[in-house]
Amino acid sequence: MESPADITWNGYSLAERDWRWQRVRNGAAKAGFDCTFVPLCVDGRNLHLSLEQARGTRSDCRFLTQLENGAVIMPTDGRKPIIISDQETGNDWVPERRPPDGSWGKAMAQALVDAGMERARIGVSGIRRGFYTHGRAFHGVVNHTSYAEVLQRLPNATFENATDIIGYARYVKSEEQIACLRRGAAIAAAGIEKMIELARPGMDEGILYSRVMQRMVSLGSEYYPMAFYSGLHGGRRLPRFEDPTEGRFLQPMYRIANEVDAVFGGLIAQEQQPIFLGPIPDAWKPAIEAQRDLYYAALERLKPGIPFAEFMNFVNSFGEKRGLKSLMLMHGRGYGDDGPLFTPQNRGARNRDVLIEKGNVFIVKPIVSSADGSFDTSWGGCVLVSESGGEPLVKRTPGMISIT
Amino acid sequence: MPWQSPPGAGATVFIWSGYSLAERDRRWKAVRENAVKGGFDCILVPLGNGVDGRYMTQLRCSAVALPTDGRAPIIIADRSSRNDWVPEPWQTGREWAEPMGEALLDLGMHQSRIGVVGLKGGSVTHCNSIDGVVNHTALEQVKSKLPNARFDDATDVVGFVRYVKSQEEIGFVRRSAQVAEAALDELIKLARPGVDAGVLYSDVIARLLELRSEYYPLAVTIDPIGTTNPKRYTNPPLSKRLEKNILITNEVNAISGAQLTQVCQPILLGHIPSEWKPVIELQREVYEAGLELIKPGTAIGALRDFVNGFAAKQNMKTQIQMHGCGYGDDGPLLSSNFPGNHVSDLRIEKGNAFVWKPIAMSADERIQFTWGGPVLVTDRGSEPLFKRDHGMISII
Repeated sequence: MESPADITWNGYSLAERDWRWQRVRNGAAKAGFDCTFVPLCVDGRNLHLSLEQARGTRSDCRFLTQLENGAVIMPTDGRKPIIISDQETGNDWVPERRPPDGSWGKAMAQALVDAGMERARIGVSGIRRGFYTHGRAFHGVVNHTSYAEVLQRLPNATFENATDIIGYARYVKSEEQIACLRRGAAIAAAGIEKMIELARPGMDEGILYSRVMQRMVSLGSEYYPMAFYSGLHGGRRLPRFEDPTEGRFLQPMYRIANEVDAVFGGLIAQEQQPIFLGPIPDAWKPAIEAQRDLYYAALERLKPGIPFAEFMNFVNSFGEKRGLKSLMLMHGRGYGDDGPLFTPQNRGARNRDVLIEKGNVFIVKPIVSSADGSFDTSWGGCVLVSESGGEPLVKRTPGMISIT
Repeated sequence: MPWQSPPGAGATVFIWSGYSLAERDRRWKAVRENAVKGGFDCILVPLGNGVDGRYMTQLRCSAVALPTDGRAPIIIADRSSRNDWVPEPWQTGREWAEPMGEALLDLGMHQSRIGVVGLKGGSVTHCNSIDGVVNHTALEQVKSKLPNARFDDATDVVGFVRYVKSQEEIGFVRRSAQVAEAALDELIKLARPGVDAGVLYSDVIARLLELRSEYYPLAVTIDPIGTTNPKRYTNPPLSKRLEKNILITNEVNAISGAQLTQVCQPILLGHIPSEWKPVIELQREVYEAGLELIKPGTAIGALRDFVNGFAAKQNMKTQIQMHGCGYGDDGPLLSSNFPGNHVSDLRIEKGNAFVWKPIAMSADERIQFTWGGPVLVTDRGSEPLFKRDHGMISII
């Protein structure tokens, strides 16, 4: 793979910007909003329900501006948006920015007034969870004090939830975005290869963690914490770590699970690879094989126009035919907290009517467990939806790696 | 009523949580005392204020309702997390407003004055977040459950507890400083013409991680010396290889025991131009003179004015640049963008820990130099927690 110095990618094009903005404007017009408003959102270090959610807090701003932090007022009628940002440098997409100048609330309210929105119907992104984005943040991601000031300063405007306006614009990826996700998936796969190379009994888990992260960053990924689980099989769930641990060493017969994420072009790709430090017990093999078969079968059904209800029913019933259990585990890939979200915690019932579309990218990692629930396994990676079904963004083979 | 882990709750994420129960009690007692002084019946650390939540609980994600009358707090956590400090928190999944509201009702706060921590930027915490860090929708829902209660900003109630470090905390501030220094040494060791800047970045990050720092972005600029407005990177630079006469400025951050510290020292891949030498020397002078003033009792405004006026007679400029060490976004924050007028009267105290890195500049501001790191305020003055020779590193 290319070293960072040899990577020539230099940000998204202006055509990509215009494509994104137009998708948002189209959605806003359809919903009857006069403008779409991305207010100041809480930073991910403070609003940190999960890695994904934390990364997702300011994701709408990144999607629309390529800035890490800012507020956006985008009139639906095609006028250029007003951007407020505390960042000292801008970029080609948004050469003009207004500073918050001591109060984000005041600056955002003034921008709305300047855009003629004093009596408008304003769609607010991130105020609540959406179908396509911010699915983990039930209460949204918006900063209280500044938003409350905006409401106070524009008493005649109507503010309504518009999370899904930008969410839907993010749901379908452009070719530029797909190229970045493809590179990200390849970097994540390289991180997994490093883990397989180093994971041995006696290995310091903190050093292992450091080396995997080093490998991915050295290939140009932004830093995104790996989720690392390790321990003996049986009993309680494996503990999860998102920083390098102290005093933990891999042992024979340890299970390792992971979520290995790489970020390129601001988009989060993820690959996942279970590892076992010993010969894989025969009792586990039916579930591992079923998980592989389920993954491939699911890809065949991941086609445009299919409602998630149909896809979910297929995945969740797959295990029964083999005397096993299966459960859908997948969600969107993108700038962070992308959906729709299907996890053991969020079974995804509310997403049943959402349609799969060409250009969607998901992390697909269904779970298969033994009938008695004593063993479960999940393997997966990034999948692009094409006319013919799901296409993995990086070629890997489902299964559990045995290191003996 | 207590909340239990919902079915399918996510995996527990284990984070470092090594402070003693005595440290917990110290923090909680000090927060209660500040709250009483502020006239609050209860302190609420709500959803959104993760940093103060961690300070109060050592949990990865939590909300806290702490009555000032000495009763135990109600703490809400997720993913079935618990620890020695908080063995039996209320558990939630992704719903936070309901348990926060119920906690306040359970504590009898129907008509109380509730101090919300993180509602605004504070004097010594949440300094960059001028409008605070609280989640809007969740707080509004909480307020709707307690229509007769009054919610006021209490950021400084916790902030001024965080401002003064305990002996336990100071131990980790020291450790954190050592880790940051080791990573800066790695940067100096590896920075050579021809090196891939992205790989160099990853090597420094790896050094921090292998010394068990929690992740915090490394900030660097990598441009030819004299470049106006060099580009700042907080992720690995792409399409960039080091060349002769590249100046690398840096902010190397480390976190040990949840304490964030930083060291910075510019590195030049070439000979130091003669026109830079007076500026570097001036920075050494203002650094040391300022250090003399960083002692208990000095007003922040006096320190700022001293530093900003230090070079008035030398046809050069100096600018204060400092912030607190701690759980994150600690203050007081003083820089060109944050003059700190609201903390002018704030006094430096024993047990403060700051990142001290004033800037020296040529008169036209074309040449700018900063160097520094964490310092601890003691009875006798201030003690630098990093040990390196002053100046710009020159790699020939």
